[in-house]
Amino acid sequence: MDFTLTDDQHLLRDTARNLLAKECPVALVRAHIDDRSAADPLWKHLAEWTELGDGPLVGLCLFLEETGAALAPGPFLVTTAMFAGLGIGPGPGTVALSPDVAPVMPFVLDADLVERVAFVLPGPVVAVCDRDGLYLRPVAALDPSRRLFEVPVPADTRGEPLDPAVLQAMLERTYVALAAEMLGTARRLFEMTLAYAKQREQFDHPIGSFQAIQHKLANMALVLERAWSAVYYAAMTIDAGDPERHRAAHVAKASAGEAAKLCAKDGIQIHGGIGFTWEHDLHLYIRRAYGDEHLLGTSAWHHDRLGDLLMPTAP
Amino acid sequence: MQLAWGPEEEAFRAELGRFLDEHAPPEARRKRDFTTADNRDDRIIPTWARDWQAALFDHGWMIPGYPPELGGRNATPVQTLIYMEELATRGIPRSVHFPGYAIVAPSLLEFGTDEQKRLVPAAIRGDTVWCIGMSEPNAGSDLASLSTRAVLDGDRFVVNGQKVWTSYAMIAGKCFCYVRTDRDVPKHKGISVLILDMATPGIDVRPLRNISGSTEFAEVFFTDVEVPRDNLVGALNDGWRITQGSLAHERGGLWVQGVSFVQQAVADLIEMAARRGLDRDPIVRRQLAAYYEQAQGLRALGYKGFSSFAQGSSAPEHSYLKLATSELQKSVFELGMELLGPLGAVTDAELGEQSGRFSHSFFMSFANTIAGGSAEIQRNIIAQRVLGLPRR
Repeated sequence: MDFTLTDDQHLLRDTARNLLAKECPVALVRAHIDDRSAADPLWKHLAEWTELGDGPLVGLCLFLEETGAALAPGPFLVTTAMFAGLGIGPGPGTVALSPDVAPVMPFVLDADLVERVAFVLPGPVVAVCDRDGLYLRPVAALDPSRRLFEVPVPADTRGEPLDPAVLQAMLERTYVALAAEMLGTARRLFEMTLAYAKQREQFDHPIGSFQAIQHKLANMALVLERAWSAVYYAAMTIDAGDPERHRAAHVAKASAGEAAKLCAKDGIQIHGGIGFTWEHDLHLYIRRAYGDEHLLGTSAWHHDRLGDLLMPTAP
Repeated sequence: MQLAWGPEEEAFRAELGRFLDEHAPPEARRKRDFTTADNRDDRIIPTWARDWQAALFDHGWMIPGYPPELGGRNATPVQTLIYMEELATRGIPRSVHFPGYAIVAPSLLEFGTDEQKRLVPAAIRGDTVWCIGMSEPNAGSDLASLSTRAVLDGDRFVVNGQKVWTSYAMIAGKCFCYVRTDRDVPKHKGISVLILDMATPGIDVRPLRNISGSTEFAEVFFTDVEVPRDNLVGALNDGWRITQGSLAHERGGLWVQGVSFVQQAVADLIEMAARRGLDRDPIVRRQLAAYYEQAQGLRALGYKGFSSFAQGSSAPEHSYLKLATSELQKSVFELGMELLGPLGAVTDAELGEQSGRFSHSFFMSFANTIAGGSAEIQRNIIAQRVLGLPRR
């Protein structure tokens, strides 16, 4: 049992951090709200790293923590976690989950920038279609850094059988991968808030010297640390094929959701009025935090699934 | 990052398992909650517990990181963690009185004279019961404002004052006592530590019943108590450093007990909910799963902190774990009472095995967010020492 990063893992994380600091400033995220193509240069860089989706989940999570911290737009998450998890050939691709198979994501994430869409349909079966020729209806959403679509299944689509165990494994690794992105977003919210509390003065003192603020920040740090540990523990269980992985995946997504929500809510509370403006960047991270919380199952949904594993009696 | 322990660690676990299978007395194998509501003094440390602690010492399993003459086997930090895990998983306590082996022994090894170090084996083996004189009526979270006074008079100190919440004082042979030796300097700089023989004239121990009705701690009054100068631990007026005490060979693994305790409590709740048919209620299921999730996250956080500790880095995770496990315990036991409905506040033993169990544990859990640095003090420590926020 070892949570220390190897030299290679340190290098991977630093590389991701540097790449995103350079290629994905928050100005790009803002520009992308109005002009989709603003993120094209970023995707050219991220596309070079999609093979991480074929390697250990721990490595992918280290990279995704940084894309989450940068609010990176684009199909990196869906390509490396979801599409690669089905083992149906090279991406970039996204996955359209039929609600009858997995009632966890009724929309298709980032379908506009991928080359292929995998429809997972009752059976379960999977049908891989070229994105060109599909009808994509954009769905307006709280978080503008991701794009959601409704993508009707083409009329004559026929799927190949999909091993339910492969589907389950894909979902579990996706819960953990998304949780890793959420850790990054929550970490940025926390870092911004901590820095602000040290700098902002009221009553002639930095507000971070007041116990009411200190205790909020201590709670945020605790929940963030706990979520970080839960996510990498889950990634390790999946990489090792450990029987604990089914529970650990739900623990990871729920835990990351709790951390992201707390850092969002107390983050804006500590920022005060300035955080409530459109001009301040804080709301971009809060939007991402809540967007992710509602993507692929809320914390409550994951608690319910965890409950099903802990208490086999059907409710 | 790696999930599995290595083969050497698993061999260590297996060797420990064989010892426990062979030697652990049946009383020590009762999962959790071996404390008794019985307040007779002879039950504070039952005979089986004395014998068990001595057996652990004699076989080198009391503090594995120490050498054999101190009840250990020179175990590595990883082996010590595995030891903590294995005892916690089996619900087996090492000892029912912690001050001697957990606080006095490492403190004397670090700060004591050669003469004082001779007291260490008996402290670890449990042959000498120790109490710690720290809190006073006006020195709780603000420990440094303690006012029990020791005045040096030739080759002896004369001690006057009062301690409170002193666990095991009524059965202790010795007291590791924090006293004020200089009133004219800033409060942290005038504190010293003395070893008191509890049989010395002038020491008056008055047992205090705690919230559960049992008597585990006491008030201790000192009136002109004479203490040999040689019983000073460390340098005069350097006692504050000793409060920051070394837990030496155990520090990396102590969190396991708290996390395992709360995980066991969640498992007990799930078992109780199933037996009473409450596990069909979706609200109950969600709440139980949420507590399971938190406890599991804390276990992972403990391993993360241990990984840094084993690499020689400082590990702030331990402040997080103390805070979070103590608060989670309260929530879990309160849910246990809630699930029992009308029986939640009934302690009548004839009304079933669950009666009083969760309410007793709930009441006892109040101590954990107060003792050893309250939850508020823990948050201050995290904010100021870990996050670097300014003090006021």
